[in-house]
Amino acid sequence: MRPAAPARHSSASSSSSTYSQQEPRPENPLLLLPSSRAGKLSLGCPVLDRLLSGGLPAASVTEIAGESASGKTQLCLQLALLAPLSPLSASCLFLHSDLPFPLRRLRGLAPKSRPDLLDHVLVAAAHSPSDLISLLSRAHHLLTHHPGRLPVRLILIDSIASLFRADFDASPADLKRRSALFFRISAKLKELAHRHRCVVVVTNQVVDVVEGEAGNTVAWSSGRRVSPALGIAWANCVNTRLFLTRDADGPGGSARRRMKVAFAPHLPERACEFVIRRDGVFGVEPAER
Amino acid sequence: MSHVRSAHAVGTNKSKGADGPSTSSVLKGAQNAWDLLSDEQSRRHINTGSADLNNILGGGIHCKEVTEIGGVPGVGKTQLGIQLAINVQIPVEYGGLGGKAVYIDTEGSFMVERVYQIAEGCISDILEYFPHCHDKAPAGQEKLKPESFLADIYYFRICSYTEQIAVINYLEKFLEEHNDVRIVIIDSVTFHFRQDFDDMALRTRVLSGLSLKLMKLSKAYNLAVVLLNQVTTKFTEGSFQLTLALGDSWSHSCTNRLILYWNGNERYGYLDKSPSLPVASAPYAVTIKGVRDAVNSNSKRVRVM
Repeated sequence: MRPAAPARHSSASSSSSTYSQQEPRPENPLLLLPSSRAGKLSLGCPVLDRLLSGGLPAASVTEIAGESASGKTQLCLQLALLAPLSPLSASCLFLHSDLPFPLRRLRGLAPKSRPDLLDHVLVAAAHSPSDLISLLSRAHHLLTHHPGRLPVRLILIDSIASLFRADFDASPADLKRRSALFFRISAKLKELAHRHRCVVVVTNQVVDVVEGEAGNTVAWSSGRRVSPALGIAWANCVNTRLFLTRDADGPGGSARRRMKVAFAPHLPERACEFVIRRDGVFGVEPAER
Repeated sequence: MSHVRSAHAVGTNKSKGADGPSTSSVLKGAQNAWDLLSDEQSRRHINTGSADLNNILGGGIHCKEVTEIGGVPGVGKTQLGIQLAINVQIPVEYGGLGGKAVYIDTEGSFMVERVYQIAEGCISDILEYFPHCHDKAPAGQEKLKPESFLADIYYFRICSYTEQIAVINYLEKFLEEHNDVRIVIIDSVTFHFRQDFDDMALRTRVLSGLSLKLMKLSKAYNLAVVLLNQVTTKFTEGSFQLTLALGDSWSHSCTNRLILYWNGNERYGYLDKSPSLPVASAPYAVTIKGVRDAVNSNSKRVRVM
């Protein structure tokens, strides 16, 4: 980790160390209530927003898990374009590990009348866990200084699982090293989320359920029994887990997709159907079918 | 000395706990077995929201003790933590402790809108069980607002293990100034200790130092300490098994241990360790109102899937 800024920005360089020098001060939850309710990022669809009680919460890490082509990246791109227009009025930091960055899809999603929305999407590639950690360490500077640009209040990571595809065996020692990295990344993300009131979204892939991985979220998708990747250690690292699943293809045309709240501190377990259209991901009212 | 006065104020309240813990807090350490026994009998419990869970816990979460609550993500640890932070505030005239709560959030899962919901649920249950008290006590009625339940939680959000240590060290001073606190919840005690620790022996020392400190605080200030813990997979005898995080030496540092787990689609609590109670398990549910008893299968909460 390198110092984020020269001396004149000393207040920004490491807030955690300055924080711990003063006496800890409790906050009054009552005073946090209005921002907790209002500081949500809409998904741009009333049905999905209702599922999430208004949208994705700030100061919190939300995981979107699902198999490939389940709409994860689409949702991220959609959020990136919605953030500047939302009450959050924010730019977003889009950290991608799957190369290349889906620029054409982003441009396709942006309304023709608002090409300027793309200016509010800051993109960086992370190729390894240590890449991501150093990006996040430097992000603090980016989040506090935003001349001529909307402040960054949305961090998207697409996807966390592909960072850990290589370099790790299934040996106990490697699993331990890997989960230590999960907790480091998560602590960093949560600190940024808390200090800057950011919405943080991390996408995750799925793996087939194997014996011995008890305790993790399980769901049926496309006829497979799957769990979000990276095991129960990573499951401990997110506040909210959304699971995108797909019914096995039936005879009657396109399969139903569902967004499930697998767990969340503020939401009951519930789900709704959604469709992926050219212009984005949208929830479907139960009555509409 | 304000500390002693308030212990008296709690004790002299018209309800059951008349012989409160005031003597023990004046003469620290000077207690005989008889004192200990009567102290234990008069000791109050914090309602978990579920009668079945209270039952296996011997009445609820015990003051003057450290209780560890562990379980997989999503099983309801934070929900139970928030529930306890609300239930500790139930006024004495409604069978509660009328205390305040300290909530140390290390993971960012303390969602204020959910706390508000659980406070509303708690109040609506109180009014349901005590309709006559409600009519008679307009002064008490004024107190029962979700807003005041929220305002009586001292919320610390910490972002690193050094901050966690700093807050726990600061608690001694804080509790002396805020002697109406009856519960300290750490959600979770684990999170910041699962990053790379170069020196595992140091980690063990730091953690046992923390637990020792918390145990002392719980006795000195007559409050419950609740530590939420995560679950991890452990490689033993050739296979991976679920176990609570932080290792074997940590497992000795709590007086009580409650493990929350899924049994099919139902949530269960399992009392794994207690100095006086038998090992037992009981189902519970997490509803819109908060932690409650699991309802019978015929009226089971509909799961929209």
